[in-house]
Amino acid sequence: MKILVPLKRVADPDNANKVKVPADGSKVETTGLEWKPNPFDEYAVEAALRLTENGAQNKVRAGEVVVVTLGPKECETTLRAMLATGADRAIRIEADDDQLDGNVVALALKAIVDKEKPDFVLMGKQAVDGDTNQVGQFLAEYLGWPMATAAATIVEEAGALHVGREVDGGVINLKVKAPGLVTVDLRITAPTSVYSSQTKRDFKYNDGVRFAPLPAIMKAKKKPLDVLKLGDLVADTSLRVIYKKFEPPQGRKAGVKVKDVAELVDKLKNEAKVI
Amino acid sequence: MKALFQGVVLEQLIYPFPSFDQEERESVKMMIDSVRRFAQQHVDSARIDTEGQIPEAVLKEMKDMGLFGMLVPPDFGGIGLSTSAFSRVIEEVAFHDASLAVTLGAHQALGLRALLQFGSEAQKKRYLPRLATGEWVAAFALTEPSAGSDASAILTRADLALDGETYVLNGVKSWVTNGGFADVFTVFARTDRGTPGHRPQITPFIVDKTAGILCGRQEKKLGIRGASTTDIILDDVSVRASNVLGNVGRGFKVAMEVLNAGRLSLASGCLGSCKRLIRLTSERAQERHAFGRRIAEFELIKEKIAWMMGETWALESMTYLTAGLVDAHVSDYSLESAICKIFGSETLWRIASEALQVAGGAGYMASLPFERMLRDARVNSIFEGTNEILRLYIAQSGMQAPARAMSEVNHAIRQPIKGFGLLSTFAVQKVRSSFGRKRLGRVHPLLAHEAEKFDSFSAELAKLVEQTIRSHGKELKERQLLQRRLANMAIDLYALAACLYRTTRDIERFGEQGAALALSLTHAFSQDAERRLTHNLVGMNKNRDTDDMNIAAQALAAGKYPFDVI
Repeated sequence: MKILVPLKRVADPDNANKVKVPADGSKVETTGLEWKPNPFDEYAVEAALRLTENGAQNKVRAGEVVVVTLGPKECETTLRAMLATGADRAIRIEADDDQLDGNVVALALKAIVDKEKPDFVLMGKQAVDGDTNQVGQFLAEYLGWPMATAAATIVEEAGALHVGREVDGGVINLKVKAPGLVTVDLRITAPTSVYSSQTKRDFKYNDGVRFAPLPAIMKAKKKPLDVLKLGDLVADTSLRVIYKKFEPPQGRKAGVKVKDVAELVDKLKNEAKVI
Repeated sequence: MKALFQGVVLEQLIYPFPSFDQEERESVKMMIDSVRRFAQQHVDSARIDTEGQIPEAVLKEMKDMGLFGMLVPPDFGGIGLSTSAFSRVIEEVAFHDASLAVTLGAHQALGLRALLQFGSEAQKKRYLPRLATGEWVAAFALTEPSAGSDASAILTRADLALDGETYVLNGVKSWVTNGGFADVFTVFARTDRGTPGHRPQITPFIVDKTAGILCGRQEKKLGIRGASTTDIILDDVSVRASNVLGNVGRGFKVAMEVLNAGRLSLASGCLGSCKRLIRLTSERAQERHAFGRRIAEFELIKEKIAWMMGETWALESMTYLTAGLVDAHVSDYSLESAICKIFGSETLWRIASEALQVAGGAGYMASLPFERMLRDARVNSIFEGTNEILRLYIAQSGMQAPARAMSEVNHAIRQPIKGFGLLSTFAVQKVRSSFGRKRLGRVHPLLAHEAEKFDSFSAELAKLVEQTIRSHGKELKERQLLQRRLANMAIDLYALAACLYRTTRDIERFGEQGAALALSLTHAFSQDAERRLTHNLVGMNKNRDTDDMNIAAQALAAGKYPFDVI
């Protein structure tokens, strides 16, 4: 099985205090930020690796995982981290962040899918920076492929993926035939969330995303990493989403302490006017 | 550093302050990320401490991760990290668990280190590939029941058998880290006849456990309880002559070289623990309320945290400066690594104690990690050379060259000083320093005050060294308290230099504003350093040494405290 996983790097939330907006609000200042892979995309890579191996013998690859990202050269760090974790190949599409919106990304990814012809595309349900939750859906539409979003479980049977989606009141089970697209939610990395057809159903994975052994980190430098140009993949790169202005969120005001219930009721009634 | 004892600062060695290049930085970041995830998923430090061992599964995971082969070159199946990268990964391991860091350090910074540096091609081929994967674990066996700090007093013997090709080893080694499960030991034994009055000849051997090494029971100890610590017993163990590491009789130098590397690794472990303690302390200070406020709002708590930050900053700066020197192939870094070991172990011990203090009564209880980390910290000022012996070592080896040079001053001979290429002679340097030439030329002007202090204290140190050699001569060896003061000055000066050049780099890179915290830390640390430097400087001539010696003599004669109020 061949799986394509699109990735995005996002500002490390642990360093979120460094995100700055200049006074004119024209953009988010990205210089000096620490980057990390979008967590949901990391989960997608983990799920893709699980689907292309026998969990009990995970040093032998039983399929191919190709990771792809759009961005400047520094993004290759994110790709190499995934190569170290176990992905087989990587592709970077040269682009600046302000050349991209969800639509352009989906069009570029469609071109990659047409070239690579994977059985499935697996991706994070959304990126934790813009949180637009669009690219997966756009891409499936452009490809005309079946799609399941926000997967909590994936089980491969006879070349199709049985996807469990957690919804209010229960789980919806969907069967996605190849070629198809699945976006994943955070529970996809639980010990019993993903099974390839080779992994026995009593096998349990470690909880969470696997980590790269040190020798694999060194070897990842030699794994193939191709660079393509956005213009060569997408004819119309005009943006549909145009950002007019950025504003940092208002700082939160201090709360008030009330002495007793009577005062609380009074304030809710007369100040907040909610009761 | 040795040059500093003559008032010389080898600025070309410390400017620019060493940095990881882009590629190495990326790899090391991934590695520490892997270590972090590994620790979160698999390491339960409280359990390791209670059970007194690292679970088999955790050791296996560490081996699978490649943590046992970090220093082994790729040709022999390892990943061949630089000293700086290795230090950073060990730091990360120690951040999570000291027992794991000690186990890894004993394996590669000590156990297989002699093999790496002095082993023959055949020896490397035979041992390194399996040591790199952790299939075999290595240990370092030098200390004996009656030979600790005085390593040349070891009694373990290696006698050449009649066939001329086999040595027979007999003796006992104490407190061997990894002793319980190691497969390969670097064993130091005497190969002389043991004639009194003759210099002992020590030879290192690489010995397979299967050659007949017996290990004692796991020692019960104060801290790092997960690390395996046992005696090993050599009872007529036969080892082929081809297992001699390096040259017969040259083992003392091997032991010292290995320990230089070991001490640096130890310092990076201490640094990791310090960083963990700062995190735990600030979390605790933010959570805990007293008098209706978070205790983090009180000055007495804030000052403790600021102090921890400054000391850790200095430790980090000197550790990676030294690692950078090793990576730049500076051959003699013995003083620098000894300084890092002393400063690291003492800083960690005090930070662990202050961190526990911030946590108060809760910190004293085993349900929080503070008391375990305090126990784990304690060993660092003892093993791999006690801090006392290392201070004497710093003072004595620092003074060797000046003592030699002083006898040559009269002849005004130009002579290169060991390891550092062609330097001006002591005599020339003396003339220069009397002109008050600025020595830290490349330190950023914002740090001018600190640089000036460094200059004047290092000039004082050089002067003191000269005076001390002159007034005490051969007697100096016995003047341990004077040696300690000189060593302490050297430690603070090295720390200061490391901070100054690192901060300079940060200002050049990020601007004054971007380096604001670095500047504050260096300002704060240098004030403490100045205070200590002054204390040691004054103490050279004005001190309580005579009283102390007298009191100790009486107490020792009585064997007790002789007073009572009844």
